[in-house]
Amino acid sequence: MKQSYGTLGVKLAVLAIWAALLFGPFLFQDVRSIQVAARICIFIVLVASYDLLIGYTGIVSFAHTMFFGFGAYGAAILLKQMGPGWTPVLLGAGAGAALSLVIAAGIGLLSLRVKAIFFAMITLAAASVALVLASQLSHLTGGEDGITYRAPDLFKPATKLLTDGDGKVLKLWGVSLNGKVAAYYFVFLSCAALFWLMLRLVGSPLGTVLKAIRENEARAEAIGYRVVAYRTFVFCISAVIASLAGTVYAVWLKYTGPETALSFDIMIDILLMVVIGGMGTMFGPVIGAVLLVLAQYYLRDLMGAASEAVSAIPLLPELLNPDRWLFWLGILFILLVYFFPKGIAGTAMLKGSRT
Amino acid sequence: MTLSATSPAPSLSTQDLTIRFGGHVAVNAVSCDFHPGELTVIVGPNGAGKTTYFNLISGQLTASSGTVTKDGQDLTRMSPSARAHHGIGRAFQLTNLFPALTVLENIRLAVQARAHMGWRIFRPVRHYRALTERAEHYLEAAKLGTRAHDLAANLPHGDQRKLEVALLMAMEPDIYMFDEPTAGMSLDHAPDVLELIGSIKSDPTKTVLLVEHKMSVVRSLADRIIVLHNGELVAEGDPATVMSSAVVREVYLGTATEEVA
Repeated sequence: MKQSYGTLGVKLAVLAIWAALLFGPFLFQDVRSIQVAARICIFIVLVASYDLLIGYTGIVSFAHTMFFGFGAYGAAILLKQMGPGWTPVLLGAGAGAALSLVIAAGIGLLSLRVKAIFFAMITLAAASVALVLASQLSHLTGGEDGITYRAPDLFKPATKLLTDGDGKVLKLWGVSLNGKVAAYYFVFLSCAALFWLMLRLVGSPLGTVLKAIRENEARAEAIGYRVVAYRTFVFCISAVIASLAGTVYAVWLKYTGPETALSFDIMIDILLMVVIGGMGTMFGPVIGAVLLVLAQYYLRDLMGAASEAVSAIPLLPELLNPDRWLFWLGILFILLVYFFPKGIAGTAMLKGSRT
Repeated sequence: MTLSATSPAPSLSTQDLTIRFGGHVAVNAVSCDFHPGELTVIVGPNGAGKTTYFNLISGQLTASSGTVTKDGQDLTRMSPSARAHHGIGRAFQLTNLFPALTVLENIRLAVQARAHMGWRIFRPVRHYRALTERAEHYLEAAKLGTRAHDLAANLPHGDQRKLEVALLMAMEPDIYMFDEPTAGMSLDHAPDVLELIGSIKSDPTKTVLLVEHKMSVVRSLADRIIVLHNGELVAEGDPATVMSSAVVREVYLGTATEEVA
């Protein structure tokens, strides 16, 4: 069976997105764009790791931001305590990943046997506990205010990656090759590597087992796959990847607080992205993350412009007021779910089949 | 006991196997041996406990009391996946496949489980040529070669039943358990499935258990018949004797009299 045209289209789109991210700093040369590009990279990984759970094995977890937060706080706390450098970043990544692994294994072994709804509730409870702890242990975590710290010296804006003859920072296509560019490529390469690992995982024999479990759990067990073990393993892998994404995000932002690393708003964003993009494809999360992050950053601007353009007409400027961007995002979401019930990637991949 | 001198050791046996659901005893103290090279058909009216008995053997249900042993090893408390690795292969009454995967992928999953390769997490599936070749072998055996890349969900019902049998063969079990393998099949497709079961039966190392209602199937395949009624084993023996016995007529009276006659 050849791939459908839809599948080819989705793959091309995903490739184009990664290419745009690769040349991000040169294509979009302003401070805000590079923030957006970095956030897209992080969320692609975060949402793809969630897709491993929900899309490939049908596990619904609400603890994904908790694992993201472990990674972020691990790096943040150590960077604050030990000062900028690579050691705290690596140690923080390791500590966050180890903690995520232990907690995921614990939750998985204890509760993946029971009904899906209980598992979802337990992850919700764990995530709430993590959020409360982060705001209570303020001597470590900075409480509600979070922690501000400095990233490794390489990522300082003043760092010169390449210099010309006069000792000035070299420019490539009009972009200064400074620490900010280095920081972006740290984010990009880490995220690309993690995404590639996940692609390998879903294409491996294990990936087929995961699909089998999603399709028909009882039969997968009957032909000899220990479903609980596979589910727990995927939950652990997904937790560790989310945690590593958290560490990368913490290094990028140079700030970690409940808002950026642990809040349920992030969990809702992840769910929206995976639903909009399409579950169980690995490509869906890429498309979903791009669309939602772009909407979050630019829908208000777009609406502001639209509102001014129609200022002569009654009522419309009111409707298009930038303050109502969440309303329009909601409408967009409803339309997407209505017209793309399997998400954009999932629905598109079924179109234009070739034999 | 008198038979044990002449017949080989049983490959599978259940000893006082019982399961209760609340006050209802669905399978009641069933003791029975199954031997390699023998095809045993399990008959009985609806609700007699045939499928429940199967579930107890393959592990979808765990017995309230009694034991399931295979080659002397106690399987009673094992999970279905562990039993599968001990050589129990179970097909299901209702078609029970992986619908959104292709026919080849369905079979390869069973081959891969058998080869203990489910934990390979890095190299792409297509690099494991041996798995695919093995799967293709069973694909051909089940005459599904032309359907390899169709989704299981898109197969006609008769081909789905064949795939069900192919999945089981790909597990290469010692014990084959079929639960109404020709249910819902048209007459022109049923022979394919029966032929497959016949080829399994011709292997003297394999033990086959078959739940079946169609008397034509029972006559053509059965070496031995056991009769379940209200969860109890009420008769066993060679087909001719059992089918003509008074107890079977009584059990079936009003449900399938004509067919038995």
